Amino acid sequence: MTEAIEVKNLHKSYGDLDVLKGVSLSVREGEVVSVIGPSGSGKSTLARCICRLEEINSGEIYLYGQRIDGRKHSNKALSSMVGMIFQQFNLFPHLSVLDNITLTSVKVRGFSKEKAEDLAKDLLAKVGLSEKMYARPRQLSGGQMQRVAIARALAMEPRIMLFDEPTSALDPELVGEVLEVIAGLAETGMTMMIITHEMLFAKEVSDRVLFMDGGGIVEDGPPSQVLVHPSHVRTQTFLRRMLAHFGEQLTQNTASREG
Amino acid sequence: MNLDFTTLVPYLHMFWVGVLVTIKASILAVILGAVMGTIVGALRVLPIKPLKAIASAYIYVIRGTPLLIQLFLIYFGLPSLGLNLPAFAAGIVGLSVNSSGYVGEIVRGGIEAVPNGQWEASKVLGLSYFQTMRYIILPQAIRNMLPAFGNEFVTLIKESSLLSTLAITELTMVGQQVRSVTYASFETFILVGLIYLVLTSFIGLGLSFVEKKWQVN
Repeated sequence: MTEAIEVKNLHKSYGDLDVLKGVSLSVREGEVVSVIGPSGSGKSTLARCICRLEEINSGEIYLYGQRIDGRKHSNKALSSMVGMIFQQFNLFPHLSVLDNITLTSVKVRGFSKEKAEDLAKDLLAKVGLSEKMYARPRQLSGGQMQRVAIARALAMEPRIMLFDEPTSALDPELVGEVLEVIAGLAETGMTMMIITHEMLFAKEVSDRVLFMDGGGIVEDGPPSQVLVHPSHVRTQTFLRRMLAHFGEQLTQNTASREG
Repeated sequence: MNLDFTTLVPYLHMFWVGVLVTIKASILAVILGAVMGTIVGALRVLPIKPLKAIASAYIYVIRGTPLLIQLFLIYFGLPSLGLNLPAFAAGIVGLSVNSSGYVGEIVRGGIEAVPNGQWEASKVLGLSYFQTMRYIILPQAIRNMLPAFGNEFVTLIKESSLLSTLAITELTMVGQQVRSVTYASFETFILVGLIYLVLTSFIGLGLSFVEKKWQVN
């Protein structure tokens, strides 16, 4: 069976700065993969290359067996394969919540306005924001904005969802509501790649955890292995620093999805 | 020193005609300038290098040379290429071309002030470049551009006084005519200045009204 995401020997640099130094990975259909690692390790760049926000220097990227690096695929074609959630939400501030979600259904997928609105209302109910349908983004909290952004991305019905630090810009008390929505999505069997600093969440929700450092994948395995018994020194050092934030829960092998 | 504005009373109808010409010229020039400037500004941000370079050069030349020289080139220079424009038409063309250089920069600035995340979200959601421009970027950019655009209108009203050099009987020209008859130079140009101030103030008021209305929606 073809992999949902397959990346082969991906190199990406900005000028003299090598951000990704030959990354290879594959993600199966329905798999939830969390990517952890220090800032500057290349996590975000990897996700941005997969949804083609960045041109790559060399290597190959396949989504469901189709090679998508280069310019062969239109934005439209790509949007049916992969959706992306940004740290800064990137909602359209001049449009209502409902219009944020329906715009691309109508303009890209060619839905009628009614069909687009039905879909948007369903999705808003799923993320618990039905009552905010006619609000403007600036009237929402960060957590609400990110949930709208998730509904907006899901309206394109992509087969893969990428999350680029979805809770990093949120006040601590708003993180939970967003993670809950993402966890709910994971339950539906969607293929997901989540870049996150929320270690406990990664441990609970993921089938696999990747640890990235210095532009490469250092460790790749089930959460119980990578987060609880890391075999590489760099992973151990990183997690030790993280422990200060997340306490003992991280090292105890409980509540793990594969457990 | 005695200021006696009553000497101007017999000539008020002339001032009125001059004001109308000034308003007409400014409105025509601001509309044409906005259209041309939007095209220039759009070319300036388009990801096509040669067009970008042409638009940049155009803006560079227009903004780097005096309006008076541009007016002279169009009115006195173009006839040697066989293109004879009546004074008023030449004046409008000159003002519009000049304004388009500045509007081009306003449009470019307005578009570039929209955060890059808007482009990225649009791309990932499947919108094409032109769809993104039309539905996402321009609606936000226009709000960014509005204050600068209002300033450009104010500038145009003031610079339209240079049309007097092409013997167009707009407000400043009328002032010169009245002065040459009454010799009341100070009174005449105080009045002319005040009329310009009233015109530009109206633009300012209208603009803050539109901006407020836009905020609410």
